[in-house]
Amino acid sequence: MKKILKSREFLVLALLVAMILAVSTVNAAVLRPLTLINIVNSSLFLVLIAIGQMFVVMTRGIDVSVGAIAGLSAVIFGMALNAGIPLPLAMVCALLTGLVCGSVNAAGIVFVGIPPIIMTLGTLGAYRGLMRVLTGGSWIESIPQSIKTLAVTRYMSVPLMVWAVAALIIVLAILLSRIKAVRNFYAVGDNREGAYLLGINVRATEFTAYALAGLFSGAAAIVFTGQIGFVPMQTGSGQELKAIAAVVLGGVSLMGGTGTIWSAVIGALFLTTVDSMMIFLKVPGSWNNAVAGAVLLAIVVFDYLIRRAVRNRQLAMRAAEMHHAEQDHDTRLQPREAVR
Amino acid sequence: MKAAAVFKSWEFMLAVVLVLELLVLGMINPAFLNIENLLFSTSDFAHVIIAAIGLTLIIMTGGIDISGVSIMGLASIVLGLAFIAGVPIGFAVIIALGVGIAAGAFNGAVVANTDVNPLIVTLATLFLYAGIATGLPTLLDMLGFQAYGAGGFEAYQYEGITGLPKAFTWIGSGRIGWVPMPLVVALLLAAVATWVMLFTRFGRYLKLIGVSPAVAHFTGVPIKRTLVTVYAMNGFAVAIAGLVLTAYLGSARSDLGSEALLSIITAVVLGGSSIYGGQGSVIGTLLAGFVLGFMRQGLLALGISSDVVPVIIGLLLVGSVALRIGLAKLSTARANRAAFAAEQMAVEGNGGRS
Amino acid sequence: MTATANPVPLVALRDVWKVFESVTVLRGVDIDIRPGRVLALLGGNGSGKSTIVKIISGAYQPTAGTIEVQGAPAVLAHPSDAHAKGIYMVPQEPHIFPNLSVMENLTAGLKGDTAANNARAKAAAHEIGLDVDFESPGGELSIASQQLVEIVRGLLRNARVLILDEPTSSLTRREVANLARQMEQLKARGIGLLFISHRLNEVLELTDDTQVLRDGRIVLNAPSSALTTDMLVEAMLPADFSVPAEEVSRRERRTGDSAVLSVRNLSSRLFKDVSFEVYPGEVLGISGVVGSGRTELAEAIYGIDPFVSGEVHIAGKAVPRRSPQISQAMGLSYVPEDRHAHGIFLALPSSQTVTAGLLSLGRSRFMQREHERSLTQDFIQRLRIKLSSPFQVARTLSGGNQQKVVLAKTLAPGPRAIILDEPTRGIDARARQDVYRTIRELTAEGVGVVVISSEVGEIAEVADRVMVMRRGRLVALPGGPKTVEQISAATFAANGAAAA
Repeated sequence: MKKILKSREFLVLALLVAMILAVSTVNAAVLRPLTLINIVNSSLFLVLIAIGQMFVVMTRGIDVSVGAIAGLSAVIFGMALNAGIPLPLAMVCALLTGLVCGSVNAAGIVFVGIPPIIMTLGTLGAYRGLMRVLTGGSWIESIPQSIKTLAVTRYMSVPLMVWAVAALIIVLAILLSRIKAVRNFYAVGDNREGAYLLGINVRATEFTAYALAGLFSGAAAIVFTGQIGFVPMQTGSGQELKAIAAVVLGGVSLMGGTGTIWSAVIGALFLTTVDSMMIFLKVPGSWNNAVAGAVLLAIVVFDYLIRRAVRNRQLAMRAAEMHHAEQDHDTRLQPREAVR
Repeated sequence: MKAAAVFKSWEFMLAVVLVLELLVLGMINPAFLNIENLLFSTSDFAHVIIAAIGLTLIIMTGGIDISGVSIMGLASIVLGLAFIAGVPIGFAVIIALGVGIAAGAFNGAVVANTDVNPLIVTLATLFLYAGIATGLPTLLDMLGFQAYGAGGFEAYQYEGITGLPKAFTWIGSGRIGWVPMPLVVALLLAAVATWVMLFTRFGRYLKLIGVSPAVAHFTGVPIKRTLVTVYAMNGFAVAIAGLVLTAYLGSARSDLGSEALLSIITAVVLGGSSIYGGQGSVIGTLLAGFVLGFMRQGLLALGISSDVVPVIIGLLLVGSVALRIGLAKLSTARANRAAFAAEQMAVEGNGGRS
Repeated sequence: MTATANPVPLVALRDVWKVFESVTVLRGVDIDIRPGRVLALLGGNGSGKSTIVKIISGAYQPTAGTIEVQGAPAVLAHPSDAHAKGIYMVPQEPHIFPNLSVMENLTAGLKGDTAANNARAKAAAHEIGLDVDFESPGGELSIASQQLVEIVRGLLRNARVLILDEPTSSLTRREVANLARQMEQLKARGIGLLFISHRLNEVLELTDDTQVLRDGRIVLNAPSSALTTDMLVEAMLPADFSVPAEEVSRRERRTGDSAVLSVRNLSSRLFKDVSFEVYPGEVLGISGVVGSGRTELAEAIYGIDPFVSGEVHIAGKAVPRRSPQISQAMGLSYVPEDRHAHGIFLALPSSQTVTAGLLSLGRSRFMQREHERSLTQDFIQRLRIKLSSPFQVARTLSGGNQQKVVLAKTLAPGPRAIILDEPTRGIDARARQDVYRTIRELTAEGVGVVVISSEVGEIAEVADRVMVMRRGRLVALPGGPKTVEQISAATFAANGAAAA
């Protein structure tokens, strides 16, 4: 319990609640259930690609192509639906697209050794271009009603999509805590050399991380398409950077080895909420990016200061330990006897 | 440098690629090779080259700054707003450049004083500066500044500010002889940056830090000061890029240049800079910038959809890095084999003492 | 070839060679690790020990030669191959995942059922004496416990061979005694151990066989019981190490000289209350093993670690704020212990390393290629550096020539005092003699030199005055130069003797 209270996820969650409460003193409308539900609903896309990004960042990588993968997956999804493919099968198509795109990134990074930022920046251009090539640059509209119905269906006034993603997150959280291989992500990010010497398959772990990032972007594409009912060319544009910001905000260190699925979820919720709060404060939407950037910067610098303090304390503790042992030794054996 | 080394250099390869590219495009469409057209078309991508030159210096230290595209927009809107507020255009340019330098120096200060990955620092300021750029007009209204004309500054939140004086737009559309001004600016900056890299102590510091920050520290290189300076220089360069593009388009916008990030980084990396630092050249970036820019022009001239362009740029980026990695692996393997053979020979020559 | 009767070694290296970055590290090494025995692998810094460890544990592949596991040739392409064949390395710096629990640390990388693994881990930890809270984070373990975590990891992989790489370097005396008991237990189970250490007494007490490595070759192979510290020291000395200390003309300190470097009551976390002075034209030798605080001391004086208390005076002036720039400007240079990490710009032309130290002094503000070339050329002749041109990339040089380039870098600003930390680590005999000659030339010019080394032979050879660093304290050996025996007695005695 103490561990949870001390965690970065909790800190950001507390900040999130504090922010909502603070805004509610200005505009009480924030606290209406419907408002909160809508915020959650509009965060789903970012939550999903942030979860994918989390795996990559945990292994000390970075993937700036997730937004483009989501865009490409959405195009495939839309085209599949328009071609009359049944919804479940179309969903599989979208997920597969994401998985394949992610695997292409993984292959370049893991097998060729291209730096992650270069590889995914390259595929960012490629996937986004491909998206336009496939559609000729026009939006995909007239998507069958079936998917839109999914989006507007609500249980207990909460959209079906929210339930679905929430269920997915909980199942994932359980799976991630149960599957042993998940620890390999931490191990590789924490201490790559150490993981290798322990016999962990570092390459397979890194490959999986990028493939998962693609897969979750595919899932995000399905949610997005369902929510707005068409596929604009901007789908996912700029979201890759927000996804990175979300996971870092939520406590996944870029030095690898830390973070949980809750980091991605809470980080994404936070960023989305910031956007909504601006509306309630009647701050022009144009300031959203500035606030998101300032928050991200503040958090990572704060994180650095804390890490530095912890490291200094650990060093001091070890030095004291050695010192005590030495004194202990001094009293039992006269060290001077060595010097003749 | 010896002649053989020049021919084997990456820059020479790029120059050959550039010539081949122009020839091939010219063969397909002879109109493309019209010198005047060719020169004039550089105005479309000169801002990418200018920004890439600034980034080359940063990547030399092993860092990166992706917020440059936001600083471009910020400089542009600052210039426009200053103009609307009645500031003389020359002074407005100085303010805009000052904002660019300050924004870059801030990035550098955070990078130099923390261990936070420069990619994340500048990702945060990418949002921050873009947000400030779009938010600035409303801020000015709130602070009670007076704009010319009705509607206050807010009208320019997403609209471009036009009507900039001729003296300023000349930077974007004027020319000296046949050479358009944006290209003049880019070449001038490239020359200055090359001089800095080759002949100044500061330039050497950049390289030393890029090769090994730890060795540089032990050697007495002032790392923090150098980093803050180089990020500030990049801020200056991208602000210039923003102003040149503003002058070329005749409109000051907050979202100017936001599409250019991929092209800028591709120009630097294709130009031979290693993302890990310590390797690369301004000339390489310049040449790569031309290769990329003319390719886009050429493809469009050939009637190929502009949609394909980012696909090709992306593949070029990945492909060029993969090629370099492959070449490096080959040469290391060859050197190790040679060293082993020499060592074994020496042992046998010694009468094989074991 | 070996003195033991046991026919089939658990792991053996046969004529193993290794080349890195064009530098030959191993030159045909043979090693035998036998069941129920502890083999010590001894050697100076850079002699190739760590490369052997990495080859046996599957992290590196030999350039030539074979690895035999229980008599059969084996390929260890990956650490997991080594684990599958029952070989496990306990690294010098244990690989602890600070954010994972102790139990997760113990079982990391294991396949199979979690509950079963946890149960086995608990049993193995208990057996080996690791009694900690298994749910606490790995980052909170003491170094000794971290090492036990590594040993348990090996046992969980049913290791028949355990490699202990410098296991005692950061342990307290009591922890070493504990480790010795655990090694006895492991031996009794028929496990073969490879023990890497710098501490000669420990080697003689804790191991059954000893092999000494020098310049990538095995130069001594004998049962430990038949060896003495002196024999080990002698084996580790370079082959043509012949200049007797007395024959070198030594400059007498003149009474009027004032110290070029004076350190007063310097303390940090890793050393306490260190004071000494260095006079023009003398060589002060500081002898100390890895972990004694000697490198931390040197870095503190030079200004790498500014968080220390005490005073440093260079050429009579107090250093206002310790930093490498200020030290160099005031006339103190430093040749760091770790050449690749801290000394040389590997990817650049050698000339750029040579001039790097001059830049921050405000000299050669504008890089002049001709100036850079001629300066480098001067040092090439003075230090006898073998270079195809001043612009040859440093990475392609041998270790000795790289060290000379670093030496040139630190000499270029014309220092009044210079600290050399392990100046001959991992370089060949001839380069070593060149370094010693350069030190003599410097003293003739009136430079004050501090040589820090874990090789007692080196201290005996070059030092006019000797001090010994032990566990963060610096103690002077009174009188002038010292013999190898005197220095090793003072250096190793207080650190050795594992069993209390």
